[in-house]
Amino acid sequence: MQKKVVILPCSGIGKAYGEMGRQAIYELIEDLRAEDVTTTCLGRLMIEDPDTKELVQGNQVITVDGCAKDCARKNVEFAGKAVDGALRVIDIFKDNRDLKPEGILRLGEPGFKLVHILAQKLAEEIDRVRRKEE
Amino acid sequence: MNEEFLEVTYDKFVFRVMKGYLYHPEECWAKEDGGLIKVGVTDYLQKIAGDVAFLELPEAGKEVSRDGGAGTMETIKTSIMLISPVGGIIKEVNGGLDENPQLVNTDPYGEGWLFKVEPGNWEGDKKLLMDAQTYFPRMKDKIKEEMSKK
Amino acid sequence: MLEPFKQIKVGIIPCNGEEICEGTLTRFACRKVLDTLRPNDTVTICLPLFIAGDKGEQNFAKTFPTITVDGCEKRCSAKSTEKLSGKPRHSIVISDLLRKQAIPPPRSRRTLDEKDEAAIDLVAQEIAARVDEILKKG
Repeated sequence: MQKKVVILPCSGIGKAYGEMGRQAIYELIEDLRAEDVTTTCLGRLMIEDPDTKELVQGNQVITVDGCAKDCARKNVEFAGKAVDGALRVIDIFKDNRDLKPEGILRLGEPGFKLVHILAQKLAEEIDRVRRKEE
Repeated sequence: MNEEFLEVTYDKFVFRVMKGYLYHPEECWAKEDGGLIKVGVTDYLQKIAGDVAFLELPEAGKEVSRDGGAGTMETIKTSIMLISPVGGIIKEVNGGLDENPQLVNTDPYGEGWLFKVEPGNWEGDKKLLMDAQTYFPRMKDKIKEEMSKK
Repeated sequence: MLEPFKQIKVGIIPCNGEEICEGTLTRFACRKVLDTLRPNDTVTICLPLFIAGDKGEQNFAKTFPTITVDGCEKRCSAKSTEKLSGKPRHSIVISDLLRKQAIPPPRSRRTLDEKDEAAIDLVAQEIAARVDEILKKG
């Protein structure tokens, strides 16, 4: 059975980017790539939960950060794992200027359109990361 | 005490005012830079606006007037018209912002500068700007007003 | 009367756990407190930013009282806060709270339905009550 790619979002609730990252990951897991993507709580990694550490250390990891602060990427690296891929939600927004989310958590239609685009980009990133391993 | 900045903390945010710069009420700053005037936005403005996604800045060679429009700055929350604190000709635009507009957020007084102007009347224009010590209490008043809007 | 800049605010630190449905509930409940129930008395601390070393987040949590809101018994937010800044004034674990009130957890981590909105209200009111308790005591 092929190993899964672990995708970790940044967990922020101060800006809409955090929720968009999470929703894109859920779209991947539930709709687009159920067979080869998983996620876990960044918080569990931060408290050094053994199962979470094993999951992250044993699989390829892609982080999805809201902004340039790169919290997810930094926290994964702090846990001793170099990320295989890293995306920022703000970079997707830059290519889709008219899709502004309506709220921080309740994203509305434009927000979810951006989520869908982000999910597609993540799917491409998963393919890139997989090819690198082969 | 910080040598470079005047600082105030509100909640978890530290608002900074760079000493030695001059400030415009519309939240931009000016600094003499080898015969030109370097222009940027304040720490207060970048914090209130959020992560900068797009910047549209005037091109080199274009004339700007004091208090006149000088492009726009757009975040996921808002779009802001930028003001030039000095009149003259744009001589240089910060090319680093093309790839990384968030330099405005991470280093508003340093690498996040916007453009440089060859001034037409710098002696006259700078009299209308505030030094850091004068701008600082006005910034604090704006912060109080912004926070009380909640 | 304290100057506005010295006003005591309570830091709300949700775990935002992505893996479980209760994590989604922490986010919505905390935002409800921040935006509607106690907007002038609370501020959110972003846990990963906190861990990544942002001094603003860490200094706030050292200076002001905090309430951690965790989705499950792993208590990631409570443990991280205690390690980096000091014991939170209150630690809420949503799975425990829902169990005590006999409310089932959300069925989806992706979307919340009407029943979940009631759970959001319950958790948000609990957080707000703890905020009030802290601010009365000072």
